[in-house]
Amino acid sequence: MNMAWKEIKKNKGRFLILGSIVFLVSLLTFMISGLANGLSQDNAALIKNLPDGQFYMTKEANEAYNLSSLDNGTQDQILKKHQDAAALSIQMGLLNNHEDNQLSVAFVTSTPSPLFPRPDKGDIILDRSLKDDGIKVGDTLFNNQFSGTFTVKGFVDQSKFNHAPVAYISIEDYKEMYRTDKMQFIFEPGEDSDQAYAGLQSFSKNEFLNTISSYKAEQMSLSMIVWFLVVISGMLFAIFFYMMNVQKMGLYGILKAIGVKTSTLFKMMWTQMLFITVTSLGISIVLSQSFHMIAPKGMPFHLTFETTVQLSIVFLVIGFFGATLSGLQIKKVEPLQAIQQGEM
Amino acid sequence: MTIFTIDEIRKSFTNGEVKEEILKGVNLSLNEGEVTALVGASGSGKSTLLTIAAGLQPASDGQVIFEGKNMTSMSSEQIRRIRANKFGFVFQFAHLVPFLTVEEQLTLMLDVSESKMKKQEQKKEIDKILALVGMEHRKHAYPASLSGGEKQRVAIARAIIHKPKVLFADEPTASLDSKRSKDVMTLIRDLTKSLNLTTLMVTHDEDMLSYADHIIKMSDGQVMIS
Repeated sequence: MNMAWKEIKKNKGRFLILGSIVFLVSLLTFMISGLANGLSQDNAALIKNLPDGQFYMTKEANEAYNLSSLDNGTQDQILKKHQDAAALSIQMGLLNNHEDNQLSVAFVTSTPSPLFPRPDKGDIILDRSLKDDGIKVGDTLFNNQFSGTFTVKGFVDQSKFNHAPVAYISIEDYKEMYRTDKMQFIFEPGEDSDQAYAGLQSFSKNEFLNTISSYKAEQMSLSMIVWFLVVISGMLFAIFFYMMNVQKMGLYGILKAIGVKTSTLFKMMWTQMLFITVTSLGISIVLSQSFHMIAPKGMPFHLTFETTVQLSIVFLVIGFFGATLSGLQIKKVEPLQAIQQGEM
Repeated sequence: MTIFTIDEIRKSFTNGEVKEEILKGVNLSLNEGEVTALVGASGSGKSTLLTIAAGLQPASDGQVIFEGKNMTSMSSEQIRRIRANKFGFVFQFAHLVPFLTVEEQLTLMLDVSESKMKKQEQKKEIDKILALVGMEHRKHAYPASLSGGEKQRVAIARAIIHKPKVLFADEPTASLDSKRSKDVMTLIRDLTKSLNLTTLMVTHDEDMLSYADHIIKMSDGQVMIS
């Protein structure tokens, strides 16, 4: 007989309350996680969306990409050896349109690579968020450090850096604007691409992201919030399962007295825990993913299905341990005590 | 025929530095088809004796022999199996599972005793036992909607559905009025005879003694009159 299910059916109210708590806490965690990821994407989607690989910048730059300046000889040597690698430069700057509206952007230029758009001289390719601001293909944009004009040639998705949309320009235009003929760093895709080059320091993608000062500080705070929420949720689950088990100690004692195995009682408790947690997490996933689809465009919210599933697994594991820890009292409960306690 | 023997059972508790002896070497034999009543003042040790005999707590010394086997040397799993298959329990309060219907209470007991009956056979057996205790009309009811007497009848049905050898009843009428107490005692006596059970009952109500075949009076942890 499935006692676990029969109890849920009979005591819908009690299980609904417990389920609501799991649902609300997990939804809150998913939403905060979505906002954290959204801010992270907003800060560094340009780097985060790259495949795994290594970044190389000069040792003298002291882990600050904008202070790095690659020697042309070294750069050519690496790019010749690794044809899929690209040298890049990023500079924060401003663009103006005919109405003299200022747009804060991150100018990016690179050597030929399938990973980065490479507009021709005088052309510019922008992050799609600028299209929502009214910029259209064919528009002319200006920069006070550039003698010519930029013509918008197109838009790309998910290209943000330092909370600003990316503006891809040609190397020639970049050199004119920033009075330099040197690139800042090299990106070499591939999992086994960690190589030693004289005078260069290598960084994995995560290490490189952490060299962006705003990114590191922001992500540390947000990650701490998310993991605090996960830990607090776990404790909440454990407390609620504990309360539910304490209320049922008399029942467990009587069931043990008539010969029900302790393992059967544990299975009953785990089945109920799994049912409540899986149902609540399922609703939370559907709601948070729906919100992801309808979230306002300006809101930095990015929640992948994988992230929600990973967090759900963490919740399930915590719920399981919480329920098991509180259920250890089932082992201790004496049938005799329950019989002498009076009616349940 | 004797199927249950209690031999020199002792039980003591240590309360701080004081050792309190509740049972002081009790001997007892129970026969099939008979109701044995344990009577005595509060604190005489009658309930402790019943719970030791039923395998619900261990004795400090002595033996409990059931069907020729010494229960006091068995593992807790072996005792659990005996409780599930060979013993039936009726307590002072019915102690029914609140989220199961009357019918499900009995199905649960059949499951616990690992009954080999098929579903259809189980249903027939449940109907038969419920008819025996006069509760067939309430088989879909939950405990909350039953009266005290009805609950105790269901508890008796649960205690006998798996055809136990021994029925332990600890103050089965204590929570009932006098009419319902007589009904329940008549039922216990009739079932003991018709199913050839061995019944050990603890009671403090002298009116109930007329339903017993044997009366054992206990005082201060010892059997006074048998």
